[in-house]
Amino acid sequence: LELTEQKRHQQKHSGPKAERKKSRKQLGTPAGDDERKRNPKAFAVQSAVRMAKTFHRAQDLKAKKHHIPLVDRTPLEPPPIVVVVVGPPKVGKSTLIRCLIKNFTRQKLGDICGPVTIVSGKKRRLTFIECSNDINTMIDLAKVADLVLMLIDASFGFEMETFEFLNICQVHGFPRIMGVLTHLDSFRNNKALRKTKKRLKHRFWTEVYQGAKLFYLSGMVYGEYQTQEVKNLGRFISVMKFRPLVWQQSHPYVVADRMEDLTDPEMVRVDPKCDRTVSLYGYLRGTYLKNKGQVHIPGVGDFAVADISFLPDPCALPEVQKKRALNEKERLLYAPMAGVGGVVYDKDAVYIDLPGGHVNQQQEEVRPTTELVQSLIGTHTTLDVKMAASKVSLFTGAAALTPGEVEEEEEEEEEEEENGRVWDPETQRERRKAVFTEDDDDDNSEGSSEEEGDEEGESEEEDEEDEGGNKREEEEETVLKKEAKDKTEPKDKQGMKTAPPVKRQKMEEGKEEKEPVVEVPAFADSEDELEMSEEEEGGKGEQESEGEESDLEGEEDEEDGAVEKGDLKPIDSGHCSEEEDAKSKKSNATSKMDEEDKEVEGGELCYESAGALRWKEGLQQKASEAFLRQQRAAPNLRKLVYGIVAEDDGDAEEDEEELGGLFRVSRPEKGKKHRADGVDCSRFDPDAAHNWDLEEMLDSIRDCFVTGKWEDDQDAATLLKEDEELYGDFEDLETGEVHKGKSGKQKDQAKEESDDDEEEEEKLMKVDDETQKNKRLEKKRRLKERFDTEYDDGDVTYFDDLKEEMQKQAELNRAEFEDVDDETRVQYEGFRPGMYVRLEIPSLPCEFVTNFDPHYPIILGALGASEGNVGYLQMRLKKHRWHNRILKTRDPLILSLGWRRFQTIPLYHIEDHNGRHRLLKYTPQHMHCGATIWGPITPQGTGFLAVQSVAGTKTSFRIAATGVVLDLDKSVTIVKKLKLIGYPYKIYKNTSFIKVGCTSCLSSC
Amino acid sequence: MSLGLTYDGCNFFRQRLVLSTLSGKRVKIRNIRSKDDNPGLRDFEASFIRLLDKVTNGTRIEINQTGTVLFYQPGLLYGGVVEHECNTQRSVGYYLEALLMLAPFMKNPLKAVLKGVTNDPTDPSVDKLKYTSIPVMKKFGIDGEGLELKVVRRGMAPGGGGEVLFTCPVRKTLRPVQLSEPGKIKRIRGIAYSVRVSPQMANRIVDSARSILNKFIPDIYIYTDHMKGDKSGKSPGFGLTLVAETLNGTFLSAEQVSTPQGQGDPVLPEDLGRNCAKLLLEEIYRGGCIDSANQSLALVYMTLGQQDVSKALLGHLSPYTIEFLRHMRDFFQMMFKIETQKPSEDERKGGDKVLMTCVGAGYTNISKSIK
Repeated sequence: LELTEQKRHQQKHSGPKAERKKSRKQLGTPAGDDERKRNPKAFAVQSAVRMAKTFHRAQDLKAKKHHIPLVDRTPLEPPPIVVVVVGPPKVGKSTLIRCLIKNFTRQKLGDICGPVTIVSGKKRRLTFIECSNDINTMIDLAKVADLVLMLIDASFGFEMETFEFLNICQVHGFPRIMGVLTHLDSFRNNKALRKTKKRLKHRFWTEVYQGAKLFYLSGMVYGEYQTQEVKNLGRFISVMKFRPLVWQQSHPYVVADRMEDLTDPEMVRVDPKCDRTVSLYGYLRGTYLKNKGQVHIPGVGDFAVADISFLPDPCALPEVQKKRALNEKERLLYAPMAGVGGVVYDKDAVYIDLPGGHVNQQQEEVRPTTELVQSLIGTHTTLDVKMAASKVSLFTGAAALTPGEVEEEEEEEEEEEENGRVWDPETQRERRKAVFTEDDDDDNSEGSSEEEGDEEGESEEEDEEDEGGNKREEEEETVLKKEAKDKTEPKDKQGMKTAPPVKRQKMEEGKEEKEPVVEVPAFADSEDELEMSEEEEGGKGEQESEGEESDLEGEEDEEDGAVEKGDLKPIDSGHCSEEEDAKSKKSNATSKMDEEDKEVEGGELCYESAGALRWKEGLQQKASEAFLRQQRAAPNLRKLVYGIVAEDDGDAEEDEEELGGLFRVSRPEKGKKHRADGVDCSRFDPDAAHNWDLEEMLDSIRDCFVTGKWEDDQDAATLLKEDEELYGDFEDLETGEVHKGKSGKQKDQAKEESDDDEEEEEKLMKVDDETQKNKRLEKKRRLKERFDTEYDDGDVTYFDDLKEEMQKQAELNRAEFEDVDDETRVQYEGFRPGMYVRLEIPSLPCEFVTNFDPHYPIILGALGASEGNVGYLQMRLKKHRWHNRILKTRDPLILSLGWRRFQTIPLYHIEDHNGRHRLLKYTPQHMHCGATIWGPITPQGTGFLAVQSVAGTKTSFRIAATGVVLDLDKSVTIVKKLKLIGYPYKIYKNTSFIKVGCTSCLSSC
Repeated sequence: MSLGLTYDGCNFFRQRLVLSTLSGKRVKIRNIRSKDDNPGLRDFEASFIRLLDKVTNGTRIEINQTGTVLFYQPGLLYGGVVEHECNTQRSVGYYLEALLMLAPFMKNPLKAVLKGVTNDPTDPSVDKLKYTSIPVMKKFGIDGEGLELKVVRRGMAPGGGGEVLFTCPVRKTLRPVQLSEPGKIKRIRGIAYSVRVSPQMANRIVDSARSILNKFIPDIYIYTDHMKGDKSGKSPGFGLTLVAETLNGTFLSAEQVSTPQGQGDPVLPEDLGRNCAKLLLEEIYRGGCIDSANQSLALVYMTLGQQDVSKALLGHLSPYTIEFLRHMRDFFQMMFKIETQKPSEDERKGGDKVLMTCVGAGYTNISKSIK
C-alpha cells in the first residue's frame, strides 16, 4: 500500500490575519463574555421547541445514568471471590494460577486440582478454579464466576472456546471479565507484536465492553510468568469491584471444595451400586441458604439436603489490624482437593502426604522396572484388547495416539484445515480458530507486513462468502498457515518442557486411572503413565506409592482418616439443638407455672389457650407469677411455637394401645381429635378473664388513644417546652433588645449564684456542666436539623429517597441479627453467605462417587420455592448468528437454564398479529421467535442457552441459540396451520360442503 | 420434583393448601375426620378446593372414596375473572382469607366474584376484611386502583345470597415492612348493617356501641347500612363491625353478628352493640400493628418478601397464627424471631405485644409473565 502524504496546514506568521490573531491573544478578553456582548442574537433563545428538546435530552441522559437502587446485601465477611481461569488447552491456565498463588501466598502448588482458596488481602479472599475446555464445565463455571480471567494465546489468536465462553457468560449474567494474552514471546519482531495486541484488544472490546481490561503476559521465565506482571495482575484482582448479578444474588450456591463419602462401607461392600450419602464442603455464596432445602447439582440432579452445618472458616481473613500488609501466617491457602499442606481429602479418606522431594525422585527411578511387573500382575484384559487400546506417545508429555487415530489422522488434518481448524498435535485436538470479517478490513487498511498477511490469510479462510473471489489467495494461505503452525509447534514443546507439573489428562484418562483395584497404581494401562510427564507424579504419585508400598500402611492411613473424621465431628456445630434446649429448660422449670409445664409436656394446651385461660380464671397465682412469666416469655413463646411440635408425632403413635395383638381400640381421643379435626377458623376468641365493665380494665388501655397520655418525646406540652428552651432566646435586631426564654433566665441566675459559692458546690457544678454540655449538643443538633431541612430540601428527588430507603433497609438487615449467636442466627436467617458449610446429601447415585474427578467443579445451587417443579416454559429464543444452521422444531436441544443443564424438545412458534402462537417448523434465520419447552420452572427473565451436543468440538460454534424465559404455565396453546384435502359433495350457489378425506383431526396433522 | 408434606386431620386445611400453592410443594392430608360419624371432607372444603382449582392452572387434586385422604399438587396461580358459588356452611370470609394470600402472586390480576354468606358468626366477615386486610396489603406495596373489596349484596348466615367482589393487582415482589409502632388511635369507624329486619335495628346498635366507646374518644362514626330488595340476601339478620384507626395507619377491628335465623336465641341489637364495643376494646388491649384476624396474612407477606428484614408488632398470637407459623416452617423453612414486649409499669397500653422479625424468603411471583 502506498499512501501519498497530504500537504499539511501551514500557519500564517505574517499578514493581516496573523496580526489579528496576535492582537486578540494579547488583549486576552474572556471570549465568552465578549462574544455574548458583541453578538447577542447568537445567544438568544432561537426556538423554544429546540430548547425544550435540548433540555429534555439532557434530562434523559441524566436519567439514563441511574441504576435502580438495590438493597446492598453483601455480607460483612464476604465469601472468597470465584476467579475462573478459562482458555483453550495449552494456553497457560495452570501456570497462571500457580503464579498468582505464588504471588499471594509464597507457596508453590503442583497440580491445580479443584478450587484453590487463598487469602489475598486484609479483606479479600480468592478462589481459583481452572476451567477445562469441556462445554459443561464452561457452562457451570460461568454461572458461579465473579471474575473470569480469559486466557488467549496471542500466537494463535482467538479460539472459538473463548467466544463460546463469552456467550455463555452473557446469557447467565455477565461476570467481570479480564482478558490475559499469553505466548507473547513467540513474536519475533516488535511490530507484529504490537499489531496483534491491538487487533486482539479491539476484538475483545467489542465482545466485552469498550475499554475492558486486557492484560499482557509477555513471556516465561523458568516456566513461570514474569513476577512483576503477575504482581500487577494480582493487584488488579485484589482491588476489583463487582456488580451484583441477579441470579447469583437470588440463589444461594456452594462451589464444593471437598467431598466425603459417608455411606456405610458395609452397604457399599454388599451393593457397590447403592446410593451414596455424601457430604460436600464449601463456602456459601449468593444469599441465605435455609436448612432442609433443595439443591441442584449440575450434571447429577436435584437432591434434598439432609442437613447443613457451618464449620470454622478454614481459610479465615486476618483479624482486624492496623498494619498494611499481611504477614506470612495470614497468607493462607486452602485447597483440600489439591492436597495442600500434606493433607488430601479424598472421597472416602484423608491422606497425609509425606514431605520431601526424594520420595518423588525415587519413585521415578523405580518405575520402569516395577511397571512391567505391576502391569503383569494387574492384567485384566487379554493382549489384543490391550493392543487395540494402547497408545503411543511420540514425545514425553504429549498425548498418546491410538492406532485408530494414527490411521485417521492424516486425512482429517487436511479436511479440518479447509474448515478453518488447526490440528494441534500437542494437545491431541483441533483448534477452532475464531475469525472475523471485521478484522480483515482493519488489517487491510493497516498495512502489509508479512505476519499481517499471514493472519489475514487465516482469517479469510473461514469466510465462506468471500471464498468464490479469493480462490487463488486461499491456496497461498494454506501454505502460509502451515508455516505458522510450524512456528508455534516448537515453542509449545519448549513450554512443555520448562513448565513444571503438567496437568493430568482429563475425562477418559481420568476415569481409567481410577480403576477398581486401588492398591495397584495406574500402571495397569501403562499408556496413561507414559504420556504423563515426570513431574506430574508430584502430589498424586506420592499418595499412590503409599498405598502401594504396603497394605498395612494403607490401613493406617484409613484409620488416620477415621480419626480425622471423628475429630471433625464436634466442630460441626451448626445443628439446631432444639432438644437439648428443651431439656435444659425442663431442668430449671421448677418455678414454672402450671400452664407452661403443660405446654412443655403435652404441647396440647397451646391450641386452646382461650379455654385454658378460662379455667385458670380464679387462680390467685397468676398475678404473683406474672413477673416470672414475663421474664421467661420470649424463649417460651418461641418454644411454644416451634419447639414442641417436632416431638408430637412420636407421642401420638405411642399412645395407641393394642388389644389382643390384632385389634386396636379405636376410641376418639378428645384432645388430639379436637386439634386435628377441629374447625378451621381464624377467629381469635377474646380472653374471658377480661371484664370490660370494670373501670380498671377500661383504664388499662387509656393510653392507646390519642386522648391518653403521650410519651415524653411525642407529647405536645414537653415538645413545646423544649422548643422554648432552644429558641426562646433571641435578640430584636431593630431595638437591640435581648429577649430571653424562661429557662435561659433561670440558667443565668443559676450561673451567678454558682459563681458566688463555687467551692461549695463543685460537685454539683460538674453534674450541671455535663447536663449543660448535653443541652448544648442537643441544641446544636436541632439547629443543624432545621438548617438542613431549610436548605437541603431543594434537590431531593424520588431517586434519592429511594436510595435512602434502600440504605436504611440494608442497615437494618445488618443490624437486626448482629448480636445473636450464630447457631440461633442460622435458624432465623438461614446460613449466611461467607460461611464455610457442610452439606449432607443422601441418596446420590453411586456414579457421583465412583467417577469423581476434582478437575470438574461440583456446584450446589439451591432452588427457590417451586423451582423444583416442572411446567411449560415459554421463551424468547434466537438462533446464534454464528451457529451455521437453523434449528428445527422437535429436534432435541440441550439447554442450560438456571442451575440446570437438560435436554428437551422445543416447539418454535411466532406470535401472529391476532395474538395466537403459530408453530414454526424452523427457527427464523435472523429473528427472535418463541420457543416452548416442558422443563423445570425457572423465574421469568432468566437467560438460557442451547447447544445441540455437549460432546466433542465437531461443530464450528457450539452454542446454537440463546434467549430468555418469558412465561411459565402448566398449559400452552400453539396452533398449526393445517392443509386438508377433500372434495366437494354438495355445491350451492356460492357455497359448497367439502368432505375431507381423513377421518380424524389427528390423522390429518 | 419437590418433596411433599403429609398432614393429619382437617384442621388448618386452608393454611396447608394455600402454603402448598405458594411454595409449589405437594401436600397430602390424611385422616380427615376419619373417626367422625360423618367422615371425609365437608361440602365447604370441597367448595374451597374448587375455588383453588379455579384460580390455578394445572392443579392436581385426588380425593379417595371416603374423602378422608386428599392429595394436592399445586399448579401455577392463574387468576383472571373467577366466579365462585361459595358453600353456605361457611361464610365468604373463609374463602376470602385464602384468596387474599394468593391474589398478589397470580399471573393475571384477580377479579373474583364470590357468592354466598357474607356475614356469619364463625368467620371474619367481608366488612372486617375490607377494613383491616386491605390496609395491611397496602403496607406491603399491594395497592393501586386494582385493589378493591366490595360487598355487592349482603347475605346473612343460613340462607346466604350475598355477593362480594374482590379485585387485586399482581406484584412481582413484595416490599419489606417495619411495623413496630402502632401509634395512638385517632378515630373509630364502623358499619352497622341490617337486612330483612327493621332499619331501626342498625340505629339501635349504633347508639349502644357509642355509649361505651365515647368514654375513650369522641371521634366515632358508625355508618348504618340497610340493604333492600335483591341486595338483601335470603336470611334476616344484623350486625356491627367496628374499626379503630391509629395515627400510623393500623386498623384494629371487632365484629358481632346476630345469631343466624333458627340457630339459638335471638340477640337484642343493644346487647350486640355493647358486646361488639367490648370486643373492640379487647382487640385494642391486644394491640399491635396488625389486627388479630390478619396476623397470618401479614406473616405470609413478610415471608414472601425479598431477603430483607421485616418486622411486625402483633398482639397475642392466636392459636391459628401459631399453627400457621409451624406450617410456614414446614413449607418455607421460615422461622420468625419472636420477642415479647411488655408494657412498662406506668403505661396503660393493654397487654403484652409480640414483635415478629424475619428475613424474607426471597420469593418472586413466578406466575407473572413478562412480555
